[in-house]
Amino acid sequence: MVVLKQEEMQSLAEDAVKLALKKGADEAEAFTYQGLTTNVVIERGQIAKSSRIIDRGLGIRAIVNKAIGFSYTNVLESNVAFEETVRKALSSAKASKPDENWHSLAPKKPLAPVEKTYDHRIVELRSEDLVKVASAMLDAAEKTDKNVFPIEGGAGASYLSMAVANSNNIANFDHGTIIECSLATLGKQGNEVTPVCFEFNAERSYNIDPEWIGKEAARLATSALKAKKIETKNTNVIFTQFAFQELLYFTLINAVKADFVQRNQSAFKDKIGEKVASENVTIHDDGLLSGGLRTWKFDGEGVPQQKTLIIEKGVLRNFIYDNYTAKKEEKESTGNAARAGYLSTPSLQATNFHFTPGNKSPEELISEVDDGLLVYYLQGAHSSNPASGEFSVVATPAWKIKNGEIAYATKGAMLAGNVFEVLKNVSALADNERKIGQLVAPWVLVENVKVIGK
Amino acid sequence: MKDILIKVVDGASQKFGAEYAEVRAQKLFKTMLTLKEGQVEAAKQGIENGAALRVLVDGAWGFASVGALNFETLNEAIADACKMAKAASSRLKTPIKLVETKTVEDKVVAKPREDPSKISIEDKIGTTSKMSNIILGYDKHVKSCTIDYLDLTGTNYFINNEGTYIEQDKLYVWSRITATAKQADAFTFSREEIGSTSGYEIFKTETPETVGERLAKRAVEQLKAKPPKGGTFPVILGTNVVGVFAHEAFGHLAEADLTLSGSVLLDKFGKKIASNIVTLYDDGTIDGAFGSFKYDDEGIPAQKTLLIKDGVVVGLMHNRETAQKLKAKPTGNARAEDFRVEPIIRMRNTLIEPKDHSFEEMVEGIKAGYYLKSFRGGQANLDGTFQVGIQEGYEIINGELGEPVRNASISGNTLETLLNVDAVGKDFELWPGRCGKGQTAFTCDGGPHIRVKKVIVGGSA
Repeated sequence: MVVLKQEEMQSLAEDAVKLALKKGADEAEAFTYQGLTTNVVIERGQIAKSSRIIDRGLGIRAIVNKAIGFSYTNVLESNVAFEETVRKALSSAKASKPDENWHSLAPKKPLAPVEKTYDHRIVELRSEDLVKVASAMLDAAEKTDKNVFPIEGGAGASYLSMAVANSNNIANFDHGTIIECSLATLGKQGNEVTPVCFEFNAERSYNIDPEWIGKEAARLATSALKAKKIETKNTNVIFTQFAFQELLYFTLINAVKADFVQRNQSAFKDKIGEKVASENVTIHDDGLLSGGLRTWKFDGEGVPQQKTLIIEKGVLRNFIYDNYTAKKEEKESTGNAARAGYLSTPSLQATNFHFTPGNKSPEELISEVDDGLLVYYLQGAHSSNPASGEFSVVATPAWKIKNGEIAYATKGAMLAGNVFEVLKNVSALADNERKIGQLVAPWVLVENVKVIGK
Repeated sequence: MKDILIKVVDGASQKFGAEYAEVRAQKLFKTMLTLKEGQVEAAKQGIENGAALRVLVDGAWGFASVGALNFETLNEAIADACKMAKAASSRLKTPIKLVETKTVEDKVVAKPREDPSKISIEDKIGTTSKMSNIILGYDKHVKSCTIDYLDLTGTNYFINNEGTYIEQDKLYVWSRITATAKQADAFTFSREEIGSTSGYEIFKTETPETVGERLAKRAVEQLKAKPPKGGTFPVILGTNVVGVFAHEAFGHLAEADLTLSGSVLLDKFGKKIASNIVTLYDDGTIDGAFGSFKYDDEGIPAQKTLLIKDGVVVGLMHNRETAQKLKAKPTGNARAEDFRVEPIIRMRNTLIEPKDHSFEEMVEGIKAGYYLKSFRGGQANLDGTFQVGIQEGYEIINGELGEPVRNASISGNTLETLLNVDAVGKDFELWPGRCGKGQTAFTCDGGPHIRVKKVIVGGSA
């Protein structure tokens, strides 16, 4: 299948907007998306599979009398399908109900430059190259310990490109690359099986370290063996980025979205300017972060991405907005409209949710804890109450910290509490910043977390 | 379609020496709606056509996915898949083989009473708006309501180089409804799902009134609820929680790919892992249920697969690869979300079989514990640690139901918990849901009420 060029992506979007207007839309917006991904897959400890996925399509939003219709297709070669898709966007709008809060599509604005989001070396990677990457990772894991079993993982390289056009003369194009490498392992000794241990590395440029991933995934599995149950009590918890991302994704990140605030679903409503977290906490939503996994020139509506201050030394400063929620408050979009490729209308999402790191090494952070837990992953964070921030999750794997050192792995401990209390109890952040999904953060030390053990 | 597909799979074996080749082509049409506080965010319609091509060359898998159905593109894609497989095979220790199966030629036509693709968007907006109005009008404390609606119709074309050719219609109707309520500092969140493979007529039984009131009532009643005490307690699990327990806590461990990856079930085959009164199965043949289909995405007929019989592990869920590896029969559990992804082992409708207890008998036996009626999310780990979040629960004190509790969750080890089941109810309910395992699959789960002697209840009090 031939790769679509920039001009083709843009003209598809622009033509769709023109046709929609011609057919009677008051406003129109089109989004073309193309994703080319090559993967090498590890299954049950061996490289067993390679795949190539080509996915591309066009999504059109048409507005008629303040009612919004959307239609998409992945059939791009035929004029009939193209016209049918425009027609369906219009017929959907006509079938829908007017939205009195609708103002207009996003206005055109100059784009800021982005750094380290595209690397031609990733585009040129073939499955043979990715087999080498995955092998290096697998070999490193297998050499580490005989009780470690790599179970699944792999390496993947993607090239993504997108174009957006609208009736306010937006006509933007951006493209970028991502390379990912991951390994899940289990430790087994006698009758004991550890929980799944996982390491991964994703970058926009070709500078991943597969051997580190392999070694680290194996080290985690080994040290998760000989797990013990622990007592129920309130204690200090160090969250790694994996655990913290899980905890925040379903709670805090939603609470700063303007649609949650406007719809009375956010605990932060009416709290701008108030202290909502410990003074150690400063967070930006940074859509322009150099090499960020969610860094793009513009968002799903063609609005320039930007760096927005969310919490400054514990004080809530701003929410994030897409065009619709911004217009509702006579504000400007913060460039936070995300798309699931061509398949969806824009929805409000964080970009790179960046916690300003501290200056302690992770070892120093551990050394400051007399009694506590190091929590690597959480299980069940998606069952948190998204409105109140209350959570009740399993910490697995997690390690007991005693007198400033890691003592042993724990078994089946639950953490319960409220994420907004957790934010107030952040007593230190380490300097080991990492990118995990939307989160860019270091390890975080939180005091007084309820741990339910045996 | 068939002629093109035959040429493509034949090419894979003849030109590239593929041991196995399959093409799964799809023509899909979707309608989607999102309503927030009754306001339609956008009415959406989409077309997705594409093909997934999978081959085995030198014992390794190659896979290609393209959003097109013409011969040239498919032929190019299968060549690409063969090259991919060759590259992957360079580091192979154990070549992959597939269990032998009977070939099938069949055409499966969906026969809905109400075909969702023939119902106007206006009607769909009408039904969802009505539900939204009922929820928002239920009580002044209800603050928000989000309704997502999806229907998917179309046809799957499956062919492999062994002689199987199946045309199978796809039909799903789904909706997720959530609402929040607020009073003083208390925030509650409530959710429901509707899902069917029979047709739009699902809204005749799961009417806007029934579903809307069930959901709004829960959101409002939970405002008065208190956090549970954390600790180990006896519990009664409602049918909805039993379903998610059967699916999350046990089901995933019995997906043979995960079993082989080292789940705690690996060396438990034929052994007793649950109390005698527990019988659990995964059934792809329940008429109209959200997890049902006639053939899976490897062309294997769906069936009722017994996993635990009277407390003993008697089966696993397989695809053709794991069935070969464990010398079992394939069970028809290989499913792919769409043409962008490969089929993997997924559950269908996962159930615990009812026995003889009444709900009252179960409650009477508990001095201090909880009745956990409805879940919000659940997750399991290969070591058997599970967690299920609870959106509706009640205290049980001295054999009677007490005050509601909020934001509870339960956790434990699946096998220990199954051994601690000391009563299984005589009622039965099945609940639609979606399962994520890299891809989304439509499923159902359920069972009767059950009582568990002890489980960890996580609470913030």
